[in-house]
Parts: sequence; C-alpha cells; structure tokens
Amino acid sequence: MLKIENLHVKVDGKEILKGLTLAVPTGEVHAVMGPNGSGKSTLANVLAGRPGYEVTAGSVTFEGRDLLALAPEERARDGVFLGFQYPVEIPGVNNVYLLKAAVNAARKHKGLPEVDAFEFLTLVREKMRLMRMEESMLSRGVNEGFSGGEKKRNEILQMLVLEPRLAILDETDSGLDIDALKIVANGVNTLRSPERSLVLVTHYQRLLDYIVPDHVHVLVKGRIARSGDKSLALELERRGYDWVTGEAA
Amino acid sequence: MSTALSQRVLHEYAAVRDSLPAGVVSPERRQEAIQALAARDLPTTREENWRYTNLRPLERVRFAPAAAPGSASSPASGAAPAAAPPCASDLPARLEGFARYTFVDGAFAPELSWPVEHAALSVRSLRRDAEQHRAAQGTPEGGSQAHSRSATVTRLPHALPALSTLPEARLALLNEAFATDAAVIHVSGATAELPRVELVFVAVAGADSGASYPRVQVALDPGSRLMLIERHVSVGAGANFINASVHVDIGRGANLSHYRLQQTGARATWLDTLSAVLAADARYGLLTINIGGLSARSTIHAKMAGPGAQLTLSVAALGDRQQVLDNFALVEHIAPRARTEQTFRGIGSGRARVAFNGKIAVREAAAGTDSRQSLRGLLAGPEAEIDLRPQLEIYTDDVRCSHGATAGKLDDNMLFYLLSRGLSPEVAQRLLKWAFLEDVVSKIEVPDLRRQIEHDLAGQMADAAALKELL
Repeated sequence: MLKIENLHVKVDGKEILKGLTLAVPTGEVHAVMGPNGSGKSTLANVLAGRPGYEVTAGSVTFEGRDLLALAPEERARDGVFLGFQYPVEIPGVNNVYLLKAAVNAARKHKGLPEVDAFEFLTLVREKMRLMRMEESMLSRGVNEGFSGGEKKRNEILQMLVLEPRLAILDETDSGLDIDALKIVANGVNTLRSPERSLVLVTHYQRLLDYIVPDHVHVLVKGRIARSGDKSLALELERRGYDWVTGEAA
Repeated sequence: MSTALSQRVLHEYAAVRDSLPAGVVSPERRQEAIQALAARDLPTTREENWRYTNLRPLERVRFAPAAAPGSASSPASGAAPAAAPPCASDLPARLEGFARYTFVDGAFAPELSWPVEHAALSVRSLRRDAEQHRAAQGTPEGGSQAHSRSATVTRLPHALPALSTLPEARLALLNEAFATDAAVIHVSGATAELPRVELVFVAVAGADSGASYPRVQVALDPGSRLMLIERHVSVGAGANFINASVHVDIGRGANLSHYRLQQTGARATWLDTLSAVLAADARYGLLTINIGGLSARSTIHAKMAGPGAQLTLSVAALGDRQQVLDNFALVEHIAPRARTEQTFRGIGSGRARVAFNGKIAVREAAAGTDSRQSLRGLLAGPEAEIDLRPQLEIYTDDVRCSHGATAGKLDDNMLFYLLSRGLSPEVAQRLLKWAFLEDVVSKIEVPDLRRQIEHDLAGQMADAAALKELL
C-alpha cells in the first residue's frame, strides 16, 4: 500500500528526515514511535502534503503511484487521511458541511454521484454515537470551542465517515485522558480491515495497548533505527528511548 | 480638478433646474444645496477621509438626472434615449411579508411595486404625490410649480433636517440639488405587527446619459418599529452613476432594523450618504452588504442624540477585480449612556481595494458611553488592498471604548486542513472567506433575506474563482 524509500525532507532548510525507508502493506497497522524531534510529525505531514516540507531525495509510492506528485486534496480523494496532532479551529465553517464536502469531493473523484443528504446524516449520527459526541457539535464551527479531547474525537469521526484506504494518525493520543483514549481507540479499531492500512505516530506506548499494531518502528534522527513487533513498544516503554538513540548514535 | 468639476455641476444644475420636481425638494432648498456645494467643492482624495475613495468617475459622469425609463416626464432634456425599462423578473425575488417599492433611476415605478396596507405605516413617493395632487387640482402636467410646491410641502410629516455641514456628508448636497423623487417612510406608532418595507433602487441609465439619485427619508415616531430593506441594484450593463441620500430619524424608544444591500452593476459608481439621529433609548440596527459597483463609497453619520440610544452597525464588503469599496462611518455620541457596536468584515480579492474608516466621537456630555469596534480585513489576492482605520475621539472620562483592527491573509493552517479533507483549493478558499463574513451575515434576522445574501455572496466568490482561471 505505502512504500517510503530513502526519504530526505528539509523544513526551513534543516534536514529532518534523513533517508527514511518504510513499507506498510495493505491491511496492516504500523506504529511509528520516537523521541521528540525525531521527525515523526514531519513524516505524517509530508505524507499528507503540507506545504513547507521540501523533499530533497527519496520516493513515496501509494498503491503504486507517486504520492509526492499529488496535491494534498488529491491525496485525500485517493484515500489518504491525516489525523492532525493539533486539529484546526475554523469558526464559521460548519462541521457537517465540511464532512459532506469532503465525502462528496472523494465521491466525485471516483465518478460517483453526491451523497444522499438523509442517508449521509444517518451515517454521521451513527458514527457520532460511536465516538460519544453530542449531536449539537455537528452544527458548530469546525472544532470551534472544542476541548482537546473533543477535537481528537472529531478527527476520528471524520476518518470514520471518509473511510480512507490509508490513515496516518499523528499523536492522536496526546492530550487524551484514559476514557477518551478508549473511545478514540475503539473508533480506530472499527476501521481496521484487510483493505486498509494504518500508521500510528505516537510518543507513548499507551495507545498501543488499545490499538495493537502489527509492526512497530522506532524513528531516531530522521531514520528508522529499529523495527519489530508489538513487543518492541513494550521494551521501549521499559528501557526508554535512550536505549535506541544510544545505539543509533 | 475639483473647482472645474464644481463649475460643471453648477452649469448642469442651471440647465435642468426648472424641470426638477418641486414637490421632492423645494427650489429654495435645491439652490441652497448647490450653493453650499459650490462653496465647499466636491471631495477630493487629498482629504483625509476621502483618500480611499475612487472619485475619478466624477470627472466623466453627467450630473443631471437620467430620465426614468417609462416615466412620462423627462427632467434631463437632451439626454440620450433611455435603456429599456426593467421588468419584475430583473429584480431580486420578493420577500414574504415585505411591501416593495421600486424606484428606477431614482423615480418611483408603481408597476414594479407591491404596497402593503399597515395601520401605522405610510410610504410615499414625493414625486407621485405631487403628480397626483396636480391631477386632482386639474393642473396640467408641467403647470404652476409654485402651486404644486405649496401643496406638497405642507403635507410633509417631517421637516427635512438642516443641510449637514459635515465635510464627509457633502455628496448628499448633490442629491439634494438634483433629486427627482424621494421615498418617505413614516411609522406613526407601536403596533402588534412589525411593518416590513423593502425599497429597491434600480439604476439603468449609463453615466453619459444621466445620474440616478435615490433618496429616502425615514421617520419613526416614539415607540414604533420598522424593518427596512434597502437594495441598490443595476439592470443592464450600463456604467451607472448613483448618488444616494438617506436620512433616518428614530424617535424615543423606537426600533429600526435596516438592511442595506449595495449590489449595483460591475461598471457602476455608487456614492452614498446616510445620516441618522437616534433619540433616547432608540435602537438602530444597520447592516450593510457592500459588494457591487466598480467604485462605491458609503458615508454614514449617526448621531446618538438621546440617552440610552443603541446602535449596531455591521458592514461586510467583498471586493474583487478592480473594485474600490470605501466605507466611512462617524458615530457621534452626544447624549450619555448610549451604546455603539461596530463590526466590519472586508475581503479584497483580485486587485480590489476595500476600506473602512470608522470614527467614534464621544462628546463632553456623553458620559457612560459604551462603544465597541471590531474591524477585520482579509487579503485574498496578492494585488488587493485592505485599509482599516479605527479612530476614537473622546472628550469625557467616563467611557468604555474598545477597538480592534486586524488585516491579514487566509490562514494557512485552516487552508491545509480543508485541503487534507479533499476540498479543492478554490472551494477551501471560498469556505474560509465565507466563514470570515459570518460575523456580519449571521446578524441578518430575516431568514429569506439571509439566504438571498448568502447566495449572492457565494456568487460573487464563484465569479472570483472563475476570473482567476481566465487570467
């Protein structure tokens, strides 16, 4: 599904990713862990196409296509979803309007007609119940006045409605209390399927208790320093990042 | 420039003055206005509060009024043949519950109007009143002016205020001198049912054949209420020259909701002067949507003359292409404990210039004044310009005045967020511009009107996107 090879990325002239190689086959959940400043968020953002990230070398293919050649909106319509570490508040743009515009943009891209308004609302309400979100949030501005936890739940709601092929969740667990974490994890787990891949970018192992990954990678100084199964996350938790950074140095 | 221009105004006035309807503005009053204008000159961009206006069209326009299409009398003799008269389908859709009065090139058009009876409400066209009066007297058309003048002047429910000496309001003098009709609205007392009136001013004539002088006088008796929509539109592609003058007088405890929509044609020049006087505990909600025209200037002068008066002034301006949309508002707090809330949201796309110059003056006696000013501009084009000028002039200590003015570009984070959800850059930008105007648009309390305006705003933005693709 996703193949990253020897990726080098500069931000503000400074190289952050220094030859990152990673493959995520279809149907798998991969966790990318790493200490602060290792390039985790850079990886998530460059995959989604955020401006300001300069790819100086390497390649990213998504389902056999050159992902880096696509504009951010094209990536989204092709089924790439980024769950933001800091979801943006957009007062005046209604939540449900954005959801519908997003769904219709993807449908149009696939040559499908616009979604039926009634069916759409029924679907959104069902997903909101799953995310334990108040229905009144639909008519509010995007993330406007939402608490940190509500914003993260709203990200997952968008993901559930959009049903991406590849979801990259950037520190979706940060700032969540244990109850919210369970709700978010539960939401993510409902989307696990043999056709879909997930990349969980996280600092802590905690999230991985609830969303169990197939593979764990440790990112250090812009490269994958170590890969393993879920036990690698537990070992990191026990021994700390110094264990890997020391090796990488 | 200006002196020669004033000379030309005088010259054009002299040529048409005998054909201007005396029942609308008396000849004496017209003379007084034209002399005041000659003495003070037309504004120039060298003046501080006119520097953002595009006054160049004045050099090319014909000041004498256009002949209203379909109207029998033609005040501007020698003008080019008028364009085809507009029909109802040319106008914005009517709103349920609103009486509609339409004026074409400044003169009442009964065939495009739908009056509604209301016990407390009177809406009149001074020109039509005078004509009907003449007909009743058996005086032939174009008969004794002295006669018709004396007949109509005595029927005016409210005397006109003294001519404003405010330098920013002097374009109203031009209207005073040349006006061909006036809509006079009077609400005489409190009623259970809110009177709702819509005035539609349609400009048809091109500036080479004559100007359009919309003129409105609104008076609310103490305790009365009115909801008023005032639209300025164009029919046809003429480069209209429109000079509007509106006077609003709100009595003690009376309440006026006033929506003004400037949606004139892409080549139009729209100059506008609104003066309002608020008595004690009067409430005035004035909301302006300024999106039309090539060059538009709106001058608002509100006097908080009675204690406890409340003014909510909201302006949204959306400029594109080479539009110049200039807004000047002076709110004068004369009496104590009055409140003003001023909101401006302006978007400049293309090479447009959008300006808001908002001055709040608090006089010595206006203790306990509470004024808030929030001005925000959005630069949505690399060659666009936004000018925001909040001004406070305070002559007393006991006041609360807050103001904020910010101008900037679309937020990159917001934009990327929308793109990352699959929205195209065009749709994402439109949505964000939309959201920006919400602070003003959300204040429109008439759902049908709000939908119309949202539709028009979306249309204006769609045009912008389409234009960019062409360039």
